[in-house]
Amino acid sequence: MADLTAFSYRPGNTLLHRMDVRFKILFLVLISLSSLKATPSALLVLTLVLTAVMFDARFPVRRVIKEIRYFIVLLLMVFLARGLTTPGSSLIQLKFLSFTREGVYGGAMVCWRLTVVVMIGLLFVLSTRSSEIKAAVEWFLMPFPFLKGKRVATMMSLVIRFMPLILFQAKETADAQRARGVENRKNPLYRLNKFTMPLIRRVFEKADKLAVAMEARCYTENRTDPGLFSAPRDWIALFAVICLCVIVFKI
Amino acid sequence: MNIIEIENLNHRFSNGTLGIKGVNLSIQEGEFIVIGGQNGSGKTTLLKHLNGLLLPDSGTVRVAGFPVSQNLKKARQIVGMVFQDADSQIVGETVYDDVAFGPENLCLDRNEVKRRVSSALNAVGLAALAEQRSYLLSGGEKRRLAIAGVLAMAPKVIVFDEPFSNLDYPGVSQVLQQVLSLYRAGHTILVATHELDKIIAHADRLIIMKDGSVAREGVPERVLNGIEAFGVREPCDCWMGKAVRSWQT
Repeated sequence: MADLTAFSYRPGNTLLHRMDVRFKILFLVLISLSSLKATPSALLVLTLVLTAVMFDARFPVRRVIKEIRYFIVLLLMVFLARGLTTPGSSLIQLKFLSFTREGVYGGAMVCWRLTVVVMIGLLFVLSTRSSEIKAAVEWFLMPFPFLKGKRVATMMSLVIRFMPLILFQAKETADAQRARGVENRKNPLYRLNKFTMPLIRRVFEKADKLAVAMEARCYTENRTDPGLFSAPRDWIALFAVICLCVIVFKI
Repeated sequence: MNIIEIENLNHRFSNGTLGIKGVNLSIQEGEFIVIGGQNGSGKTTLLKHLNGLLLPDSGTVRVAGFPVSQNLKKARQIVGMVFQDADSQIVGETVYDDVAFGPENLCLDRNEVKRRVSSALNAVGLAALAEQRSYLLSGGEKRRLAIAGVLAMAPKVIVFDEPFSNLDYPGVSQVLQQVLSLYRAGHTILVATHELDKIIAHADRLIIMKDGSVAREGVPERVLNGIEAFGVREPCDCWMGKAVRSWQT
């Protein structure tokens, strides 16, 4: 089977792979929040830093760009919506539609921020095993006795683990339908119905088989989880990320 | 000594269909048994009773002397099951993670988990692929990974459900070699399949199922005669009046 998707864990021994997953989750939250208030120059700093980390983590950049093409379409729609609905000085006038200078600026900023958040998310998923994510979520939920940390963590790790398989299943379903000429049907609702129903059925069947296989291997919520150990490099990285966030706020 | 004893086992599915009807079986420790039968004859349903994935409506299934329903965890540790669809059985992102899944569920300490994973991967010849992503393996490798996942739980009985389905010739050879080396190491082996050609030369006993019941049982040479009446293809060698040859030669 070919590589299913770029959005899945890739084994490696880079700095990002070796870091404590609890720190990585903290970085994810800090950088995402700081990017919400970032100016263009601050976003540029964030983008450059994240790009450097991507290259260090041997990120499959081309494949990711190919796979996030629908996200790029979404960004384009956000950009157009902001450009056309924000009042201000007109840049381009097309009959009743006016593309404003303020709208272009606002739209570009929203798209850039979303791209930064997606980049951090991808870096996290790419470099972290789902079992480690599970262990870290349990650790973060420990102070909340009313939340079933182990159950929440298991569900999260399974979703992350099986997202590539669901995407693969979706691709197979789409290919099978294209092979039978679904593209000749122009009604999008018909195509959506014919695509989603078999896909959902197959995903549920797979989930059922998986549950039985897990049961056969004595699955329990109380199990040996991967150890969470912080090293000096994690604290140094935390200091660096806090500095980065301060710089982003100050620029 | 009997490691598995099944007495008057009956199982009805939730839709009312009778899955297993009055099955009685005794399996000795270290035995190699092949269970044949056409699709829907009850092979998988029977196997799922051995580790408590299905529980009987009536009758008992004993593993190593205790009823399966009384201690599911112990039964699942003693009876390891390799499923037909290896893709659905693999839960770990890497080969190592997947093999570690079972020992982690047994709450073993991390060093013991490591030791068992490394020993299981060596046994199936996948040690070099420990850090490989599991879904990138070939069909034969995935089946061997599924076997390693079961081996890491140190079972006495290993149950294979259609182990050769969707495999090419090298894949079948790899899996067959693995099954035989487990048998030689002293494990009790049960293989459910309708492709008798590939495995029957090594079996001590052949059980044929039809409509949820045991239709025939005994040494393969005696049971194979006229087997096509039960929807199972007779091995080619039998047509020519020869002894069935191994796929290993």
